[in-house]
Amino acid sequence: MFIHVFIYRFKCLIRDRQMVFWTLLFPLLLATFFYMAFINLNSDETFRPIHAGVISNAAYQQDQSFRSVLTDVSKGEDRLFNLKVASSKEKADQWLKSNRIQGYYFISGKELHLTVKGSGMDQSIMKSFADQYRHDHIAVEDILQTNPLALNHGLMADVSNHQSFVKETSGGSAEPNNILNYFYSLIAMACLYGSFWGMKEIIDIQADLSDRAARINVAPIHKLNAFLAGSCAALVILFTEILILLAYLHFGLKINFGNRAGYVLLTAFIGSVLGLSFGAFVSAAVKKGEGVKTAILMAVSMGGSFLSGMMVMNMKYLVAEYVPLLAWINPVNLLTDAFYSLYYYDSLQRYALNMGMMCAFIVLFCAGTYQIVRRWNYASL
Amino acid sequence: MPVFNLCLKIIRKNWISISIYLAIFLVISVLLSTNSAPKETHNFSQEKAKLVFISKDHTPLTEGFRKELAKSATFVKIPDNTEKLQDALFFRQATYILRIPKGFTENVLNGGSMQLEKTIVPNSAENAYVDLSVNQYWRLAKLYAKHEPQLSEKQLADKLSANFSHNTPIEMKAQIRAKTDQGFSMYYFNFLAYTLSAVLILGISTVMIVFNKNDLRRRNFCSPVHASSINSQMILANLLFAAISWVILVGFCFIFDSKNIMTPNMIYFLLNSAVFTLCISCISYLIGNLLGNLRNMSAVCNVVTLGPCFISGVFVPQQFLGETILKIARFTPTYWYVQANDEISQLTRFTWTDLSPVFYNIAVLIGFSLAFLALSLVVGKRKRLTDR
Amino acid sequence: MIIQVKNLVKRYGDLVALDHLSFNVKEGEIVGLLGPNGSGKSTAIHCILSLLKYDKGDIEIFGKKMTPDAYDVKRDIGLVMQNVAVFDELTVYENINYFCGLYVRDRAERKRLVDEAIAFVELEAFKKFYPKKLSGGLLRRLNIACGIAHKPKLIILDEPTVAVDPQSRNKILEGIEHLNAQGATIVYTSHYMEEVEQICSRIVIIDKGRVIASGTKEELKAMITLGEKITVEVFTIEEDQLRVLREQPGIMSVDYVSKQLIIKSDKGNNNLEIVLEFLKANHIGFGRIYSELPTLNDVFLEITGKQLRD
Repeated sequence: MFIHVFIYRFKCLIRDRQMVFWTLLFPLLLATFFYMAFINLNSDETFRPIHAGVISNAAYQQDQSFRSVLTDVSKGEDRLFNLKVASSKEKADQWLKSNRIQGYYFISGKELHLTVKGSGMDQSIMKSFADQYRHDHIAVEDILQTNPLALNHGLMADVSNHQSFVKETSGGSAEPNNILNYFYSLIAMACLYGSFWGMKEIIDIQADLSDRAARINVAPIHKLNAFLAGSCAALVILFTEILILLAYLHFGLKINFGNRAGYVLLTAFIGSVLGLSFGAFVSAAVKKGEGVKTAILMAVSMGGSFLSGMMVMNMKYLVAEYVPLLAWINPVNLLTDAFYSLYYYDSLQRYALNMGMMCAFIVLFCAGTYQIVRRWNYASL
Repeated sequence: MPVFNLCLKIIRKNWISISIYLAIFLVISVLLSTNSAPKETHNFSQEKAKLVFISKDHTPLTEGFRKELAKSATFVKIPDNTEKLQDALFFRQATYILRIPKGFTENVLNGGSMQLEKTIVPNSAENAYVDLSVNQYWRLAKLYAKHEPQLSEKQLADKLSANFSHNTPIEMKAQIRAKTDQGFSMYYFNFLAYTLSAVLILGISTVMIVFNKNDLRRRNFCSPVHASSINSQMILANLLFAAISWVILVGFCFIFDSKNIMTPNMIYFLLNSAVFTLCISCISYLIGNLLGNLRNMSAVCNVVTLGPCFISGVFVPQQFLGETILKIARFTPTYWYVQANDEISQLTRFTWTDLSPVFYNIAVLIGFSLAFLALSLVVGKRKRLTDR
Repeated sequence: MIIQVKNLVKRYGDLVALDHLSFNVKEGEIVGLLGPNGSGKSTAIHCILSLLKYDKGDIEIFGKKMTPDAYDVKRDIGLVMQNVAVFDELTVYENINYFCGLYVRDRAERKRLVDEAIAFVELEAFKKFYPKKLSGGLLRRLNIACGIAHKPKLIILDEPTVAVDPQSRNKILEGIEHLNAQGATIVYTSHYMEEVEQICSRIVIIDKGRVIASGTKEELKAMITLGEKITVEVFTIEEDQLRVLREQPGIMSVDYVSKQLIIKSDKGNNNLEIVLEFLKANHIGFGRIYSELPTLNDVFLEITGKQLRD
C-alpha cells in the first residue's frame, strides 16, 4: 500500500510542470544568470599593475635613484606599475586624457609631482609610492645631518633594502570569495521552494482542502501512512532536484563548496527536509485558500533569501551583526550559513550549530504538521 | 470601443499584483540608486582601505604607526575572534586584518626579523595599497634606529611623524564634468528596465491571454467588428497601460531626484525610456500571443525579465560583465537601453556628434520594437487561422 | 441493516445543519436522500463517512460503529462526490487504478477491476487521456469509476448528476440501477425529484436537517391528502360558480388563474366526473382537460409549505 501510494504520488508530483519549473528550472536559470553577472565581480577588486607614466625630462634623467626605484617596481610578476615613459608633458597629458595612463610623475626642481585625472585606488597607490620616495629622501637627509658617518655604515644600502615587514597568515584554508554567498543562498532558496511540494501533499491529504483528499480519507488506508508515502515521494523529487542544482553549480559553473563533499550532501538533504516540512506545516496550519498559502510560502522564501544576501550580499552580514535573532530563525539563512561555514571555516562548530537549528525547525514543523494531520475528521469541509 | 474598455477592465482586475511589483521595485531601485551613485569629488582624495587593527604591542611607535595608517585606512572595529574576523573579510566589511605581535617594536629596532601578521582578501588592490604604508613606516623606523641609535622610541616616533607629514603635490586634471550629478538618474533609469519589463509583461500578456482563449476569440471573430479594429483597440489599450506605467515610474524619479529634472540629460533619459517602454510592450504583445494560459505566464515573465537584466548590466554594471556575456546581451533590447543610459549620463555637450551614439542605441531599440511587433502580428494571424 | 443513523446532530456555530436526523438503509435498497439545496444531505453523507465531526448521534455501517479508522468498514464503501475529485496529473486509467489500489492490493485483481470499471462507464477510448482533455459528462463518468472500481457493497453517490447533460445523466442512472442489480446497496442524494422517483426503491425526504418523510414513492404519495390535480381550460366562470364548485364532495381547493381552472381533489375515485358534470350543468364552456397524480414536489409542498426547487 505504501509503495502504491508512493508511486502514484511520485507520478502526480513529477507531472506538475509548473512546480518542476519553479523548483528545478528556475533555480538553474537563476544560477546561470548569477554566474554570468557576478563572475567578474571579484576581479574588480583584484590588484592589476597600474598604468603609470613618467615624463622623461632632464631632472628625471639626473635623478638616478628615482629612476632605478621606478624601474624596479615596474618589473617582474609582482610589479606595481606598467610604466610608460613620455617624452614630453603634452604627450603625458594626452595619454591621461585617453585613459591610457592613470597618472604620471614628473620631477621639477628637486620635487616629485603627480598628475592624475580623478581619485581612486590606482591614483592613491601612485601617491603612496611618490610619498614613499619623498619620505626616504627626507629621512636620509635627516640622518646625515645628525650622523654624517652613516653613509659609511651602509645608509644607502639600507634605504634601498625593501624588506617586507608583514607576512600573510590565512584566517582559514578557504579564500574569502564573497560571490559564493549568492550561490549558497540560491541553493537555500531552491530548498525552500520545495515547500510547494509539501503544500501539494497537504492539500491532497486534508479532506477539508480538496475532494481528492476526501476520497483518500474514506479509503481503508491509514491517513498518516498515505501522507508519509506522499511526503517520501516529494522528498525524493526535491532532493534529486537539489542534487541536480548542486551538480550544475559544482561541475558546470565550478562553484567551490569546500572539500567536505559528504557534509555538503548532508546539508542539501537536511535543506530538502526543511523546505518540505516547512511547506507542509504552513499549509496545514493556515486555514486559508491555496492562494494565501502560496503567498506565505513565497514571501518567506523570497524574504528569507533577501535577508541571507541573495540580492544584496551585505544583507546577510548586516542581519547577523545587528539582528542576530533574525539570522537564527530565518531558515534560508541557516541553510546559506551552513554552506558558507562548510566552505569557509576549518572548524565545524558553526556548521553544527546551523544544522542543529535546522533540525530543531524540522522537528517543530513535523510535530506541528503531525498534530494537524493526525486528526481524521473535520469541523467543516 | 468595447474591446478597448474590456482590456482596461482586465488590467484593473490585476492591479494588485501589478502594484506589488511597482512597490517592490520602487523600494529596491531607490535603495540601489542611492547606494550606487558615485560620490563626485573635485579635489584629490586618498582612498581608504577598510582595516582591522589589532595590536598586542603598545609602544610609542605602534601608536605613531596607527596614526600614520589612518591616512590610508579606515579602522573597522571587529572583536578579535577568528570567525568574526573571517566573516568581516568575506563580506568585505574589512579587507585587511593587521595584527602586531607582542615585542614587535623592540625586535624590529634591534634588527630582528619578526613580522606583522595580516589576513587579507587575496590579490586585492587594497592589500597592495596598505602594504606600501605598512612597510614604509617600519622600514624608516628601522633605518632611523640603526643610524641614530641614540633616539628614544618616543623621539623616533616624533621624527617619523614629522617626516610623514610631507606630501607629494598632486595636480588634478579634472575633465569637464556633466552639469549636474547624473549618478542617481542613471542607476534609476537602468533599474527601470527591470520593473518596466515585469509590469508590462504581466499586464499586457494577461490581457492578451484572456482575449486569446479559444471561445472568446471565436466569439470576437464572429462579431461584426472588423478584425483589424479589434486588434487596434487592443494595441491601443495596451499602449495606454504602458504609458501610464511609464509615467508613474518616471514620476517617482522626479520625486527622488528633483534637482535634476531640468537638465538636458533628463530629456534624453525620458526619450530613451519611452522607446524602451514601447519595445517591451511589443515583446509583451508577442508573449501574450504565444502563450496559451495564465499559469505559464509568471514563469515566462520571470525568465524574460530577469535574464536580460542580469546579462545587460541592469543589476551589475556593464563594466563588470564578461566580453562573451555582453556579446550575448546584444541580442536583447535591454543591453541597448542600458548603453544609451550610460552614454546619456556622460553627456556634457549636446551637439550632433555627442548625441549620435545615443541615437544609435535608440534606433536599435526601435528596430527591436518593429521586429517584435511584426513577429507578434504574424503569430497572431497564424493562431487565428490554424485554430484548434 | 447496512446503514443506521440515529439522532445525528451537527452544528456549524449557531446554524443547526443536522437536527436529530435518523434513518436506515437496508441491504439491496436504492435509498434516495431528497431535499432542497442546503437541507443537509451532503453534511449527513460526510458525517456518515466520518469525514466530518458531529455533535451527537450514532452511526453504524454494516452493523459496526463507523469511525475514521474503521478500515474493514471503509473497505466496502464506495464514494462518488458532488465535485469531480481526480488528479489532473494522472490519466484516466491511472486515476482509477490509484483509487482502486487504496482498496485492493492484488495487482492482477486490481487490473481486472479497473478494466471493468472503465468498461462500465464506457471510457475505453479515453484510457490514456488526462482529465483536462475530457468533457464535462466524461469527467463525471470518470469520477464515478474512481469511486466504484473496487466493487463496494455500499455505494454513496452525492449528487453525481449535477451539471450533467440529459444523455449522460440517463447513462449514470442506468448504471446505478445496474450496480444495484449486481448486489450493491446504494445511497443517492439529489435535489432532482424526477431522478429519485425514477430509480430509488425508498426515499428519505430531508429539510432543515430533519427527516420529514420516508418510504417508497407510493407510500409517500399516500401520506398526503392530495389525490389528483385536475386542470381545465375554462374561458369564463363566475365567482359564485367557483364557490359552488369548492363545496362539491372530494374537492380540496379550486383556483382560477389565466383561464386555467386548477382543482385539487382528495383520493376519491370519480373526481374528474364530478368536475365535468358540474361544468356541464352550469353550461360552462371548456377546452382541454388533464389530470395529474401527485409528485414528490407535492409531497414536499404539502409537508413543508414550500417548493422542493425554487
